[in-house]
Formats: sequence, structure tokens, C-alpha cells
Amino acid sequence: MAEAHSVDNPRLLHHFRNADQQFSSSKLGMWLFLFTEIMFFGGLFVAYIIYRAWNPELFTMAATQLDTMLGAVNTVVLIGSSLTIALAIRAAQTDKQKMIVNYLLLTIFLASVFLVIKYFEYTHKFDMGIFPGAYYTFDGIDHPKANVFFSIYYMMTGLHGLHVIIGIGLMIWLVIRAKIGDYSSQWYTPVEMCGLYWHIVDIIWIFLFPLMYLIE
Amino acid sequence: MSAHHIIPMKTLISTTVALVVLTIVTVAVFYLPIPAPFDVVVAILLASFKATLVGMFFMGLYYDEKFNTVVLIFSFLFFLVFVGITLLDTMFRDTGISVW
Amino acid sequence: MSASSTTNGKTLKVRYFDIEENPTEHYLNAETGLKSWLFTVDHKRIGLMYLASIALFFFVGGVLALVLRTELFTPAENLMTAETYNRIFTIHGAVMVFLFIIPSIPAALGNFLLPMMLGAKDVAFPRLNLASFWIYSIGALFTLASLAVNPIDTGWTFYTPYSVQTGSAVILMTLGVFIMGFSSILTGMNFIVTIHKMRAPGMTWGRMPLFLWAMYATSIIQVLATPVLAITLALLIMERTLGIGIFDPALGGDPVLYQHFFWFYSHPAVYIMIVPAFGVISELIATFSRKTIFGYWAIAMSSLAIAFIGSLVWGHHMFVSGQSELSTVVFSFLTFFVGIPTGIKIFNWLATMHKGSIDMKTPMLYACIFLFLFTIGGVTGIMLGAISVNVQLHDTYYVVAHFHYVMMGGTVMAFLGGLHYWWPKMTGKMYNEFWGKISAVIIFIGFNLTFLPQFIMGSQGMPRRYYSYIEQFQTMHQLSTIGSYILGVGFVIIAVYLAHSMFRGQKAPSNPWGARTLDWMTSSPPAHHNFNYQPVLNNGAYDFHKPIADFTLGIAEDDHGHEHKGEPVKQQEQNA
Ligand code: HEM
Ligand SMILES: [Cu+2]
Repeated sequence: MAEAHSVDNPRLLHHFRNADQQFSSSKLGMWLFLFTEIMFFGGLFVAYIIYRAWNPELFTMAATQLDTMLGAVNTVVLIGSSLTIALAIRAAQTDKQKMIVNYLLLTIFLASVFLVIKYFEYTHKFDMGIFPGAYYTFDGIDHPKANVFFSIYYMMTGLHGLHVIIGIGLMIWLVIRAKIGDYSSQWYTPVEMCGLYWHIVDIIWIFLFPLMYLIE
Repeated sequence: MSAHHIIPMKTLISTTVALVVLTIVTVAVFYLPIPAPFDVVVAILLASFKATLVGMFFMGLYYDEKFNTVVLIFSFLFFLVFVGITLLDTMFRDTGISVW
Repeated sequence: MSASSTTNGKTLKVRYFDIEENPTEHYLNAETGLKSWLFTVDHKRIGLMYLASIALFFFVGGVLALVLRTELFTPAENLMTAETYNRIFTIHGAVMVFLFIIPSIPAALGNFLLPMMLGAKDVAFPRLNLASFWIYSIGALFTLASLAVNPIDTGWTFYTPYSVQTGSAVILMTLGVFIMGFSSILTGMNFIVTIHKMRAPGMTWGRMPLFLWAMYATSIIQVLATPVLAITLALLIMERTLGIGIFDPALGGDPVLYQHFFWFYSHPAVYIMIVPAFGVISELIATFSRKTIFGYWAIAMSSLAIAFIGSLVWGHHMFVSGQSELSTVVFSFLTFFVGIPTGIKIFNWLATMHKGSIDMKTPMLYACIFLFLFTIGGVTGIMLGAISVNVQLHDTYYVVAHFHYVMMGGTVMAFLGGLHYWWPKMTGKMYNEFWGKISAVIIFIGFNLTFLPQFIMGSQGMPRRYYSYIEQFQTMHQLSTIGSYILGVGFVIIAVYLAHSMFRGQKAPSNPWGARTLDWMTSSPPAHHNFNYQPVLNNGAYDFHKPIADFTLGIAEDDHGHEHKGEPVKQQEQNA
């Protein structure tokens, strides 16, 4: 399918007129995809807002079960990973092949730290009987809809966590291709697109953090 | 072409610093005794500001074709429509309306 | 010649190209074998594969509909129990909505036409396009699997709490729909990017065929609303597996919230169904009236207006659900606004036909049928948007008749018109005009006989989704059933003569209708990469007063090294 049309740029697909058209098309496509991500999470945010508006006291009580410190640390970890992937793109733009790999590995590392912290948070709750929905057995919160709060919590952070895992997978693939020298200032579209994806994952967490952990 | 803008190192670093500082502020504000609806408002404003920084400088919207920003803003407005109109139902279930 | 083009500041050397008639090499025989179809990235072949799939599902859904109508011939239990009836109407609805009508015009006709109308070689992301077809197929397999396991009986809307309680295979079905949603999203994304980035030189926004404006508006809705369907169904699946209690009242949830989520997608989805049909109708009416379309910008912008206003009115499906009175009033008020852009379209089409030299070929016949039936469907929609009327008519056959007038009378008629119109381009063969008209008339009669009685029954109180009824309604039901058989006969005739034309049909000229859009400025069937030249536009899509030859300009150098029989008609410099 990748019938190269032009000799000087083997990455140019035959149906594009030039590399700029191809790059800006990919970018617009990616932004539209991020748009769908926002609406996808948006549904959960709507559920959150409506249940919070209905039961403000429930959210105050339930949030005490979440560890603000861990949430804050994870926020900073994700911000750091956003920086490192931006630096990976910069390394590609400036033809520093080795640094692309290094920055990507660093991003993967930070993403893993995030997941490890999340893992401890989850298991701690499971130990107390805070399971999603019908399996909820915790009796420390005196509210009939405590289960619903934690359903929303698990859906939102779970979907977000799933995105982190997918992001790690994408970055591993990028590392493999960066190692064989696929990316350079001539062509680094996948790194750029993965970066955009990763930043939106970060942005969603930036909103989740105060909405989940900081309720008084 | 502007789509390939290399974002200056200084910009990336200062964006990161700003984000970390804003995170600390967010937590600090949480411990301040701000009355009920406004604590959420402040938290959301801070988060939106952080998101804007990420969008403009990490995601390069500041340097990019403006249409991509339009797409982002539009998705946000669309989300607001979803929330806003749904709240018109959920917040007014028992109030009813007087006949005009 | 006036000059304008998207490549700013550059001078383009253009010349006229001749269009090859009856080409020996084209996209259909460029490669052969099953693999060359299943793994093709050619948007035309992907379009045809969609066409075959939706034809299959239309057949499945159609047979189920006839089974339902047969059961309703008498109030007695003719063929099936009430429970089976519930399953069959659910499958009929879900198949028709998710497997047939949503991909019908966008994915089949849209894929085939969109790049050609833009003067591009392909969509922006051809591999993603293929992926979208495969995702659709996988989703379809899931829904079929649900039929094998335990056919679902919730209605196509999957309302909670029943969808949480029923023993039928809700998860498999909704998973299928969830997956197909991604196919729809990817197609929409692909089309938006293609329209933004891949227009041929000179193809300004104002010169785009109206079909493309309609596809643009549709794609926006697909990208906007479908993710919400995805999260809704994901939550429903979670509700069934984990009991998350967001929608299930037994666990503290709110079932009306489910309806908000569902209709936030599904009302815009009815515009995913109808707006592409508007696009087809614009092409048909302009071409067969031989007239510049009246109110180009009004038609183009009203598509966008419908997309936006249509996103604000979902609650008109929930007037009696227990949502707040305040929101009921607001939703009713907003619903009426949808009528404005829709009316604008109808009037502009009529104005285009006025004093045109109308050529009543089969596609135009369908366009006229569309105008007639869709107007009835739209006006009854506005009536249903009035709260007091709705409280009376909700969940009756009146609603059933309304949405069949818009979906079948609107979208399907436009789809049939478009199918006949572009059939020569797709296959290189002409269909049989005589049988084309006969079947159109049969369908028109069958359709009205089926659904007009349903308006009457509904207004008299016949509820929807029942396998039996009181005697009073028997005459109406029997008329309706007979109508549905006539309708079925019409479709069989179409299937026969279209299949026949593929093998025995007359060879089609490149532009049998004398249209002016770029999809006709290539051979029938088109070349592997659509054009043997890079088209350049200098005229509007509906400039019927200009000779067709004026529409075959292309970049002179960019000849792909192909030999052309046609001599350059005139060399000219174009300042771009
Ligand atoms: C002129 C614009 C339209 C208006 C104002 C309108 C209004 C309505 C209203 C108020 C209902 C709810 C009836 C009830 O359940 O009580 C309804 C139902 C429905 N409409 Fe429309 N409609 C319009 C156009 C369309 C179009 C273009 C389509 C599809 C192509 C469509 C498909 C449907 C369907 C499928 C339902 C029934 C959904 C269900 O309950 O299963 N409508 N419409
Ligand atoms: Cu609707």
C-alpha cells in the first residue's frame, strides 16, 4: 500500500501531493480522534456531575477514602511524563536518534510508576471491601449510594488507566521503531501523534485529580 | 511549515514548572476554607488553566494551524451542552413549573 | 478564464483532458482475486463492499419485517408467541438502524464518491478506511452471534432497567453495536480530514458538490455523538456484569439518565441517516432539472445547522419518561427549530425544479418520491414535538409511521435514487429504465399502503410493539400487511434487474446524465486511481450553462506518465 511516489521522500504516500499535506492531514485526524476521546470520557464526567449534584454529602464522605497524597504524586508523575514525551518529539525534530529512545523509555517508566501507585490504591480499597457496584461491601460510609460513588470512581480511573496501558504499548512500539532509526526530522509523525494522545491522557487526569481526591 | 515547529526547550521546562506549581496550589486551596460551590469552581478553573497550558505548549496548539484549536474548543462546548441540558432535567425533577 | 486555486501563489499549467469511454482497464479489473477485494485500500472497492454488506442486512431486516407484518395480519397468534415477536422486532430495528441505515449512504455511496468528487485519488487514510470496514464486519459478527445465543428482546433502544434484567444476550448485541460505532467514527474522521485537506486545486468550499457538504455535516455528527453511544453501551455492559448502579434503580441508579445518554447519540443519529440523503437529493434534483441549484449556500449551511440544532433536542423522546417539566418544555421548544433548516432545503429543491427542464429518469422519480414522503415524515415529527400531542401519541403506531416515513420514505428512497444514479459509474453498466420506473411506482404504492394506515391506527390509540390488538384495528393492520408485501415485491424487482444489468446491461457512457460534478469526469467505471490526471476546477459544481468540456481541466505536467488518446484541446496558463 505504501507505494512511494517520490524518490526523495519514501514516506510520502501516493495519494498526497506533498509531505506537508500528509503531515497536517495526520494531525487533523489525530485531533478529531482526541475529540472523540473527550466525548467518550465526557459521558462519565456527565454521570459524575449529575450524581454529585444529587448527593453532594456523599461525595464529601466518600472522598475521604481516597489518598490525596498519592493522587497528587500521580499528577506530578504524569506531568513529568508529558514533558519527557515532548522532549522525545523534540529529539526527533533535531535528529538526535538516541535521545528519542531515551526519552521514550523515561516516559514509559513514569507511566509505569503511575500504574504501580494506582495498583496500590486499588488493592488497598479492595482489602476494605470497596469494590465497584454490586460487589461493594464496605460499611465505613453511611450513605445508601456509596456504591454508586465508587462505581463512578472505578469507571473513570479504570478507563483512564486503560488509556495509560494502551499508551505504554504504543510507546514500546515507538521505541522498537526508533531503535532501527525510523524517525528523523524528515518523518516522525507516529511520535508526534503518540505525544498528542499522551497529553490528552494527562489532561484527563488533571481534571480527575481535583474532582475525585479534593472534595470537602 | 508551521506544523513542524520545534518547541523551544525553555518553553517546555517553564510549562512543566508552571504545571507542578499549579498542582501544589490546587492541593493548597483544598485546605483553605472556601465556601461550598466556590471550592469546586476554583478547582475546575485551576485544572482548566493547567489543561490550557498542556494544550498550548506541550501539544503545540499555540504554533499549529488554528483549526485544530477550533476542534478542541468545539469538543469542550459540546460536552457542556451534554451536561447543561441534562442538568435541566436532573436538577428540576421535583420543582415542576408554574403555568404561565 | 478566471483563476483561483488552493495552491497559493503558484501558477498551474492546465489543459483539457479527454475522458476515455468504455475503458479496458479500470478499478474493477485492476487486480483480481478475493484478496484483492478483502484487503484493498481503494475507497471505491471498500464502498462496494459496504454496499454488498448493507444490501445483505437490508434483506435480513426486510424479511424480519415481513414476518412481523404477517403475524399482525390477525389479532390471533399466527406465527409466533408474544415473546418471539419481541425478539424479532428488536432484531429488525437494531439490524436496520445499526447495520443498514447508518452505514448506508455514508459508508457505501460516500466512500465511493467522496474522493472522486473532490478530485482526489483516495481518502486521507486509506488503511484506516479498510480497518473501518473490518471493524464493521466484526461488530456485525457479534450481533449475529447474539442471535445464535439468545436473541435480544429489549427493543433497539436497550432501555434500562429491562435490559439489565432480561435473560437475552444483551451484552453480545451491545458489544457488536459498540464495535460498529468505532467503524462509524473512523469513517467520519476520514471524511472530515479528506474534505479539509485533499481538495483538488480550484475546489474551493463554495464549489464543493452539495453531497460533500452533507457528508461533512454527517461526519461531524458521527465524530461528535458516537463516542457517547460507546460509553453508554460500555456502562450498560458494566451494569450487567458488575452492577455499577448508575442506570439501575435497584442499585440506586437512575434509568432516565440512561435515556439521556442513549438519545444524546440516537437523536443526532437520525441525522446521520437523513443528512446524507439530503446530499444525494441535491445532486439528483440539480442534474435532472438541468439547472444551477437554487440557494447553494442555504442548502450547504442548513446541513450544518441541522447537525448543530439536532444535537440539542434529544429529550423529545423522553417527554413521558419522568424527566423534569422544565426540560420537557425546553426540548419541545428546541425541537421546532429543526424544522427551519429542513424546510429551507425542501423549498430550495422545489425552487431548483421550478422552470427547470426536468428529465424524469428513475433517480429523479425517487427524488420526487423522497420530497413527498419525507415531507410527511418531517411534518409529523414536528407534530410529535408538541408536548400535548406527544403525550397522546407516544409509543403508538403514529410514531412508528413517523419514523418509517423519514427513514424509509426519506433515507431509503434517496439511497435508491443515488444507487440508480451512480450505478453506471460503479459498474459501467446501465440499469433497465423501464423496470426502474415500474419498481419505483410499486414501492411508492406499497410504502404508502403500509404506513399511512399506521398513522390512523396510532392516532386512534394502537400501541407499538404488541403482537396482538383489539378487533377494531384489524382492517388497518391488514391493509398495512398487504402494503408491506407489495413493497417487498418492488425490492425484488430492483434486485433482479440490477443483478441482470451487471452481466447483460448496456455499457454506460462516462457521463450518462450530463452532470457537472467531478465524479462524472472520469471513465465509467473509473480508473484505479480515479482520474488519469490531476483535476483542476474552474467552475461551480452546478454550472449547467457551461459545456461539459469545461469541467475536464487537469494539471498539464502531472500526467502520471500515462498515454492519453486525447490531444490537448487548448493549452492555457492558469494563474493560481
Ligand atoms: C423534522 C424533524 C424531526 C422531528 C421534529 C422529529 C420528532 C420526533 C419525535 C418528537 C419523536 C418522539 C416520538 C415519541 O416517541 O413519542 C420522534 C421519534 C422518532 N424519530 Fe423523528 N423527528 C424528525 C425527523 C426524523 C428523522 C429524519 C428520522 C430518521 C431518519 C427520525 C427518526 C425517528 C425515530 C427512529 C423515532 C422513534 C424512536 C423510538 O422510540 O424508537 N426522525 N421523532
Ligand atoms: Cu429525535
